[in-house]
Amino acid sequence: MEKKKSSALRQSFNVFLGLAVLTAVEYGVSFIEFPTVALFIIGLFKAGLILNYFMHVGLLWSDGGKHK
Amino acid sequence: MSASAISQAEYEQQESANRLGLWLFFASEAFMFAGLLVARFYLWGDTRPHLDQAVALIITAVLLLSSYSMNRAEVMIAHDDRKGFLNSLLITAALGVVFLIGVIGFEWQGHIRPTDGAFGAVLYGMTGMHALHVVSGIVFIFIVWNNGRKGHYSADRHWGVHACAVWWHYIDLVWVFFYPALYLIGTAQ
Repeated sequence: MEKKKSSALRQSFNVFLGLAVLTAVEYGVSFIEFPTVALFIIGLFKAGLILNYFMHVGLLWSDGGKHK
Repeated sequence: MSASAISQAEYEQQESANRLGLWLFFASEAFMFAGLLVARFYLWGDTRPHLDQAVALIITAVLLLSSYSMNRAEVMIAHDDRKGFLNSLLITAALGVVFLIGVIGFEWQGHIRPTDGAFGAVLYGMTGMHALHVVSGIVFIFIVWNNGRKGHYSADRHWGVHACAVWWHYIDLVWVFFYPALYLIGTAQ
């Protein structure tokens, strides 16, 4: 139980770290010429992380849909 | 019928239906936020107003951090750690308040007013609508915190916590697209 909890917390922190790094990349990319497409792609990656790991979108089509 | 009076299988079936309803609500909200984004690109085009980049980065980081603490709260209750769950919820609410202070106390006190043409209308429309959702998220968090304090929710039955967490992450998800649209895309005028 305790091991599962710390593993879930570690995953949560790693996702946060990934989102923070991508935000920093976004800020850097904004200085290049015509950054719109690059920013949109980075935004999609960030959205994917949030949807998958934080919002558990997969539970919508999983059997029973029990959240753990 | 109270949640404790039904079997675990019935509870999970109910949770499944609730989840579908919640995501349908998200879809309807997405149309509104997408409309605001379309307005931004139509009215601002490849320009944007001069905005405080430091404030924008700080409030974005604060919102990301709040998503982390909210996920932490959910993990805690899923492992029957009530103290950690309640503390993480309070941290999330506090970070939400910091985000609101950043938007209302700093961003809205800049040189752009809501009546300043397309720049003012879009900026206040987008940040205002998003801030309103943050306020609703904070209220939701306090309701869940109060229920949790009274002993509601368990590792097996915490749909209320999950719904609150997913709602909070949805607010973060919207900001993922609002932040570059408002602060990074286009030439500052």
